[in-house]
Amino acid sequence: MSSHREAPEISKDPVADSTDVYAFISPDQPSTVTLIANYIPLQGPAGGPNFYEFGDDVLYEIHVDNNGDGYADITYQFRFTTKLETPSSFLYNTGPISSLSDSTWNSKQFYSVTRIKGFDTRVLGTGLACPPCNIGPLSTPHYEAKLGKPAVQSLPGGIQVFAGQRAEEFYVDLGSIFDLADLRPLQSANVFAHALGLPNQPGVNATNHLNVHSIALQVPISQLVSNGRPTIGVWTSASRQTVSVRGDTGGHPVASGPWKQVSRLGNPLFNEVLVPLGKKDYWNTQQPVHDKQFASYVAHPELAALLPVIYPAIPPGKAPFAHLAALVKAGKPRTDLEAILLTGIPAGIIPGFTNYTGPVQADLVRLNTSIPPTPKSSPKYSTLGLIGGDAGGFPNGRRVEDDVVTIELRAIAGATYPLVSPGYQVDAVVSVLSDGLTGKSVTSKPLATFPYLGVPYDGYHHPS
Amino acid sequence: MTISGHQDMAADGELGSLPGQWQPRLSRRSALRTAVTTGVAVTALAAASAPALAAARPARADRDDTGHDVAAHDAGSAEAAPGEPVIAHVRDARTGEIDVFRGTSRVRVRDPALAALLVRASR
Repeated sequence: MSSHREAPEISKDPVADSTDVYAFISPDQPSTVTLIANYIPLQGPAGGPNFYEFGDDVLYEIHVDNNGDGYADITYQFRFTTKLETPSSFLYNTGPISSLSDSTWNSKQFYSVTRIKGFDTRVLGTGLACPPCNIGPLSTPHYEAKLGKPAVQSLPGGIQVFAGQRAEEFYVDLGSIFDLADLRPLQSANVFAHALGLPNQPGVNATNHLNVHSIALQVPISQLVSNGRPTIGVWTSASRQTVSVRGDTGGHPVASGPWKQVSRLGNPLFNEVLVPLGKKDYWNTQQPVHDKQFASYVAHPELAALLPVIYPAIPPGKAPFAHLAALVKAGKPRTDLEAILLTGIPAGIIPGFTNYTGPVQADLVRLNTSIPPTPKSSPKYSTLGLIGGDAGGFPNGRRVEDDVVTIELRAIAGATYPLVSPGYQVDAVVSVLSDGLTGKSVTSKPLATFPYLGVPYDGYHHPS
Repeated sequence: MTISGHQDMAADGELGSLPGQWQPRLSRRSALRTAVTTGVAVTALAAASAPALAAARPARADRDDTGHDVAAHDAGSAEAAPGEPVIAHVRDARTGEIDVFRGTSRVRVRDPALAALLVRASR
């Protein structure tokens, strides 16, 4: 997945587990950037009676580097507080919840937003209400109109914020990908699937009908960029205090000590696919500015070496990844991937485009804010982003619908290597390499307005 | 009993020099200077006894793993509330290295006698 349960330790701590980061020019408010950090993966909508909440004991942050040094220049912090209306009741709600202040909603959650910019720390909002989880038509009727939309709050400086449950918009065929890198549309060529006689099949969206918890900000571009540098780097992190003591405190652990980062996320799939298992937990504790230590995993991705092995020549056909195999064997570093994921793409490589932030290698979602959003009605619009000829999408930022699984699969398979080695011939199979999913594989479609992520699935109808 | 400002910095204060520790460069240097100068004062303040240690709070702006001044954290998380627990972690009884946690701060002290006392009390 993008970063759902991507490392052993954080997979056991879902409320602090960052799953996706989005950063894009707001299509309906192009003078602003929307930043979204998702947490708490794979929520079954029917997961009561204690429905999903942010961690009151977790420090959530969205960071922006606007001068290319790999350090955060602006950080937005989010802290949550849960309040019970009726502690004597076992119920999440004692009747239909018709508003964010409805007394029938027992377990409410509120949050604060603080911006740190240099030495300036400013509380932008406190006591902001999260919406409840989408339970079902009896408990949360007219969910979006009565609960979701009212949870969009305005902050000083023209900022909008939302924190709460949303539909999972990231799509991926987990079941096949983690079954020995099987890609259902191509599985007749997978050496293991071929042995079982499995035919090519459409992909299955394993994250459909599941929810996440989202922290979304819409901020004027002018508040995020520094003079003369339109490209920003974005990432999220979650931290817990150093010490937790369980004991005679009513079931609530006592937390103490400095905050320690336990999760972070910039580009999708970075820690999940590139960083080896023995380093994943460590990666989560590190800051992007020190990502040079992980650069070798980008320059020599394990998956690039595996694809030719898992998809070998099956007579009478030719080896589908012959050129990739030769590239791997040559041992040349994948400077294309290093640029895409660690520094941004310098000017002069793709005509009219750059999101280069400088030589510091850091896993950030890099968004060139001077590139206007591509309207969905435009023939240039492509969920394949830059490799689809659309500079408005990943890896220039990341939009909600961008097909990052296909983009990164193809990039690792060599699609972007000609950017740095024009003579390289990309294997023909790369143009159809995919897990077989598109934005149409998601049932709850993205909204046209902030916070853009779709209405969460309710627990009455899902699973059906 | 001593509180080593330098040791403390190496653990939590000098975040920017360790892989993965983030903070704005300018403020890191500033914090280092602050830590060095105030660490001595804290040594004197906490030199009496364990209760004195528990009561003592470094005057400097401590740093956490997120790289911010602890005092910069929101919602009052930086200030220790009355009655807030103080938690000691004896890292090495032989050298007397103890981490003391309170609020969002951590102070590292080196006191073999106190460490031995805590170890005996734990048995």
